[in-house]
Amino acid sequence: MNLKQIVETLDATLLYAPEEWEKLEIKEVFASDLISDILVSEGHEQVLLTSLTSPQVVRTAELVGAVAIVLVHRRQAPPGLEAAARQHDMPLFRSTASKFDSCVWIGQLKKAL
Amino acid sequence: MNDVPQPLDDFSLRIRELACGLKVRDVMTSKVFAITRNCTMHEVQQIMKKNGISGVPVVDDRHVVGIISMHDIMNAFIDGHIDDPVTQHMIPDVQTLSDDVPLSFAMSAFSNYSFRRFPVVDQKNELVGIITPRNINLALIRELSRQLNEIEEGESTSGRAEEMATFHRIYPLSRYDFDHAGRASAELKKNLKARGIPAKVIRRAAIASYELEINIVAHSHGGTFTVLVDDRRVRITANDFGPGIPDVDAAMSEGFSTANDWIRSQGFGAGMGLPNVKRVSDQFDIQSGLEMGTMVKAIVYLENEE
Repeated sequence: MNLKQIVETLDATLLYAPEEWEKLEIKEVFASDLISDILVSEGHEQVLLTSLTSPQVVRTAELVGAVAIVLVHRRQAPPGLEAAARQHDMPLFRSTASKFDSCVWIGQLKKAL
Repeated sequence: MNDVPQPLDDFSLRIRELACGLKVRDVMTSKVFAITRNCTMHEVQQIMKKNGISGVPVVDDRHVVGIISMHDIMNAFIDGHIDDPVTQHMIPDVQTLSDDVPLSFAMSAFSNYSFRRFPVVDQKNELVGIITPRNINLALIRELSRQLNEIEEGESTSGRAEEMATFHRIYPLSRYDFDHAGRASAELKKNLKARGIPAKVIRRAAIASYELEINIVAHSHGGTFTVLVDDRRVRITANDFGPGIPDVDAAMSEGFSTANDWIRSQGFGAGMGLPNVKRVSDQFDIQSGLEMGTMVKAIVYLENEE
């Protein structure tokens, strides 16, 4: 699946994304609010679902090679987070869905494809 | 008053780095004068005068039980106590340093306490030396000169292939500076990528590096973070100025955390930091001294495990 399909499934709003983000391929999904857990996630081409909004999320996502971040639970992105996403060229979206629902919906999407 | 380089000066970063590589035993004066409880203040004064020293530990079966300084001798003269036994005027409960700790701990100790000297003890808690700011300054000058010589020699033979160039960076980190924490890890990752290192190895080095960077800003008074990459390995050294870890074994167990609510709200403080670092490193070493600092060294070899 690609990032566009995931963003549509979660009805997520774009906060920052470089050009041609729609085509980014996503193989795995990782959902967590603990930096240490995100760090040791072994996924490849993964999208990160989190309700953390500190700029360190972008750093962490980049270190583990995540492709994009989706903020869940209606989290507002503080300016620092958007700036960090821009700086690291990390696609950043925001969804009103809960983390659990997001995972379920992406699971259904995966099955359907 | 302090004769020891202050930790947070940017220009002393190299000095801090040097101080992490040396141990107290490399720097201390091993020929140490000590007296027993039976000596009088007058006898101590004679020993100081004869040997040009300004502080003498009092020992009981090689264990330090007190210390007499020039200051105590002067007071004894003024108050007419110069023939008293030392036990009546010595400072008991002496702060000692272990000979095995990094020199940076001694530097922090001189900053945090007002003492002019520390008796040095070995693992059996027996007196093996004494360390003063003078020892530290001389050792640092010696090391800096040695490094300068190496650089000069290196320059004269320059022109070697650049591809295997050593990557060596020192980063200052202050308490709660979450804006800068992670920068070193990002640069490390970039460097390893450029070297064509396997992704799995890069991931391990990045995890170790990032967790240690966060540890400094989240838990310490600040410190320095050093990354060294050569053609064989990544060496990460996190060195802070205190407060030190009271129970290192507890800190190494999964789930143990002393993080406050704010740090937790940032997604940290799961108590997985140090255990994670140890798990992804090929070599791991931690030393901590209360009021002196903590030094963590992690090494990741660049060769693929397969």
